[in-house]
Amino acid sequence: MNAVHDDTTAVSDGPELGGFSINSYDPRAYLDAFEEPPPPMISSEGIVAHNITEEFRSAAATLEPGELVKDGYFTLFESVGALEIGDPKMDSGCLAPGESLDDDYDVTRPLLPGEVIGIIDQLLSLEIAWHLGYPLSQTLFTSVYIEHMLQPTPMTVQDADFIRNRPPQSQRDPMHGVLRAYCLGLLKSSCYVNERIKQEHSYEEEDFVTNTYNRSLLEKIGRYEIRDEIMEARNIIHEIRHTITDEMAHALGFRLELRTAFLRAIELSELRSDAESLSLPWSQMQGVWEAINKTRHLGKPVPEAFSTKIQRRLASTMPPRPIVQLGPEETHEHFKKLIADGIDVLNVLNYSDSQSLLNFVLTFQAQKPQPLVFIRALLQNFLFHDMVILGRLSIRQILDDDLSIVVLPSSLLLDPANDNVEAPHHPRYAIAHQMELFRQRAAQSYLDIFRAFCQNRCRVRRTLFHSLQDWETVQIDAEEIDQLLQLQTEEKPLVYPPSSGVVPSHSLPLSSWAYHYKLRLMEWTVQLGFELEIYQPDELAGMYWYLSYLSRTRAQHLERIKFFSAHRLETTTATSQQTRSKAYLHLATLEATTTHHLATALSALYTVLARLDLIPRPPRPYGTDALRYQVRMKPFASIGLPELPSFESFTTAVLKPNVSTPALLESAAKAAAAARVGLEVLSKMGEGEAFATGGRGGGGTGFERWVGGARAWMRACIAVGVAVESVKRALVANADEKAGMGGLTMSVEVPRPENGYHEWWIVPRVSKGRF
Amino acid sequence: MAASELAKDIESPPKAKLPGELKYIQYQHSLEAQYLPAIRALISKDLSEPYSIYVYRYFLCQWGHLCYLALHPTDSSLIGVVICKLEMHASHSPPTLRGYIAMLAVSAAYRGQGVATALVKMAIDAMSERNADEIVLETEETNIPAMRLYERLGFLRSKKLHRYYLNGNSAYRLVLLLRPADTDIAANLALDDATPP
Repeated sequence: MNAVHDDTTAVSDGPELGGFSINSYDPRAYLDAFEEPPPPMISSEGIVAHNITEEFRSAAATLEPGELVKDGYFTLFESVGALEIGDPKMDSGCLAPGESLDDDYDVTRPLLPGEVIGIIDQLLSLEIAWHLGYPLSQTLFTSVYIEHMLQPTPMTVQDADFIRNRPPQSQRDPMHGVLRAYCLGLLKSSCYVNERIKQEHSYEEEDFVTNTYNRSLLEKIGRYEIRDEIMEARNIIHEIRHTITDEMAHALGFRLELRTAFLRAIELSELRSDAESLSLPWSQMQGVWEAINKTRHLGKPVPEAFSTKIQRRLASTMPPRPIVQLGPEETHEHFKKLIADGIDVLNVLNYSDSQSLLNFVLTFQAQKPQPLVFIRALLQNFLFHDMVILGRLSIRQILDDDLSIVVLPSSLLLDPANDNVEAPHHPRYAIAHQMELFRQRAAQSYLDIFRAFCQNRCRVRRTLFHSLQDWETVQIDAEEIDQLLQLQTEEKPLVYPPSSGVVPSHSLPLSSWAYHYKLRLMEWTVQLGFELEIYQPDELAGMYWYLSYLSRTRAQHLERIKFFSAHRLETTTATSQQTRSKAYLHLATLEATTTHHLATALSALYTVLARLDLIPRPPRPYGTDALRYQVRMKPFASIGLPELPSFESFTTAVLKPNVSTPALLESAAKAAAAARVGLEVLSKMGEGEAFATGGRGGGGTGFERWVGGARAWMRACIAVGVAVESVKRALVANADEKAGMGGLTMSVEVPRPENGYHEWWIVPRVSKGRF
Repeated sequence: MAASELAKDIESPPKAKLPGELKYIQYQHSLEAQYLPAIRALISKDLSEPYSIYVYRYFLCQWGHLCYLALHPTDSSLIGVVICKLEMHASHSPPTLRGYIAMLAVSAAYRGQGVATALVKMAIDAMSERNADEIVLETEETNIPAMRLYERLGFLRSKKLHRYYLNGNSAYRLVLLLRPADTDIAANLALDDATPP
């Protein structure tokens, strides 16, 4: 414990410091010594150094072993970060007796073509493991070849080789040349991948680890130089083809081609132009990948070319952790998906309208498994880069498009001509000003919805909870602007609902738009709760009831929007904007009512099953149901509209104590039937009606996925109907037996989300047999 | 924290019959020499990442009274342990007194006999007596027995944490609310406390 020494101590220690001078302190001389290290040399004006070693020792001696002295700022996080020197699981420098610091794999040894394939295929599996979220230290950086290529940092493409300082005249061994070119392409594309992910929003160490441990992924070397090196290596394969089998030559060629195509795909993606031309290199990868997968058997594994010991050389305090080993099948599936999603994500560039764009993002991200982080980063880049949406639209264009679809078709409020009015007393001048205020207020919140859905599913749910609070205030602020605007437009208030006798109200288009999104956010968070298995089986009746409550509220709100829109436009001849808005409101209402009916049916079914003791209810000796309701509904508690029901009214609404079980089953059957009618209409919609338009070409993967979703809902809906009928029959059979002693001959299984028809609809499986 | 994964297999069929009534004791610093090595061994057995001695001391030195040990009735060897902390949590308003179950482990041979449940109940009772507003923990998504244990006691899953553990598995945050989290009520209680008896 040589904490601080004063100048005089340092000077008096002088003789022991033999060989050192103040200007060139060389710690190496001490590395092998068993003596205590020398005191640090402190010499600075304003510092009075004092040797506390003895004081510290005597103070420490009064403590019992294990007693902890800490200040209030020493946190759990810091204690977890502490290391124990000498423990091989914590101390990165700790070697077992006889263990060497490095492996002595010789990168200059000649390689057989099969060995090159074996090494490349292992690198492919490590590359995809990195994409999946494991750090470079446990994946690509375990390759001895890559380590030698990156260390010391090569400044030119000639330097970028695992065999350094080759005599200038000497020919590179062809197999070394192929492997080197492959590694160049791999590292350069990994560099772009890492940069892309760093520039977009994702969660470090949760989604992906961008740490490169102070290694440069060939940042200094140009992509075209690397492309040329790969070309050169492909020529070499051609030249030596007589010395190896055709099959082997092709297998090596495919692997190099994959690297060229991936680099090209990344390069083109920066253009954000049209999906068709951007997809060419991705399609090439798709073909090449199949060929690679079919030639895997040619590879001869070289496990000794990979080592965990390299991690000790990286800028990291972590002791070596195992290499992440994905099997060939797993590697194949993930790579195939990466490429397919790479092609698919380009379709987002075919913009037709804001709702189709949202639909694309929703369905693309709802895929199971979710697209990899890199693909999600590409999607974010397409959407938001430089605040130019999809490379060609301003935020205002998207936002105005959305307002015109949902609430303001052919409206004066969105007329671009307003901007040209310069007379401050003119209503259009005021409208332009107030609309701009609104856009400034709402644009970020609106774009955040898209951004949120680009995250991993757990984060989507949590982020939407935060957005919800934001949208609550967007709605309030929008209403203020609505009130200013209705003065300018001299809007006449209307009685709504018609002939209800209530005080007439205004259309409030902007706050109506915000309220609609707020309700969607609320529904999404509840639905993601089903998908992520947040709720226990005995919570399902309540959560489906709440979903039905939210979707019914939204359906009612959409009716209000329709009413005011229709009234505003009844005197004009229908424009294309009006037709489009009508179609959207029809679709949204249908979706909301279908959700309402299906959720109502499931809630009633689960309530019945709970009455029959067929849904396990944990004893829960701690807490109360009212407190648990508070935990569950916490994110909704601060929402003013729709107000969270009190625990008592929620309980009554869910348990329906005044409704008999047969009547409850009857209402479930009716609701399921009503949902089915809606789903039949939905699943027959074309891409325009469904607002899942893929752009010029038509069709498009967004629409395919939307239709797939509607069909999955339909299957879930049919299954609800079947389950309700099964329960009904069992109850009738039970009543016929009259006995009522044997209990019900029925058992219920609540499937996991991925085993049902759709992750948002957890349909219980009711089967005969005693439970 | 990762160690909650230690409740792994607590409900698997017992491999050894319980040797009579176990002894349950509260930890105290004087037991460190006797039990800390065994506590570390038991907990780190199922962990891929070991905790340094400071992690254990962080908890045990401040909240030894929230740590309970299950001991063998005859030889007093360690069979199970639960380690917790209890402090103000102010990252969102209103601040709450939050209990946290950090580690729970039962020796493999004695699982499935309610030892873990007994330990957790003692920990909850102790935190509740000290006016905890809520108790939280994380558990690995694959650790179904642990989730069942906590959910049977009254915990709810509040969120899922993507790839929370180093092995790439996700976690659930589990929450047990013991008192209403209401700003007004909290303020009233504070006023009551200020009133001399």
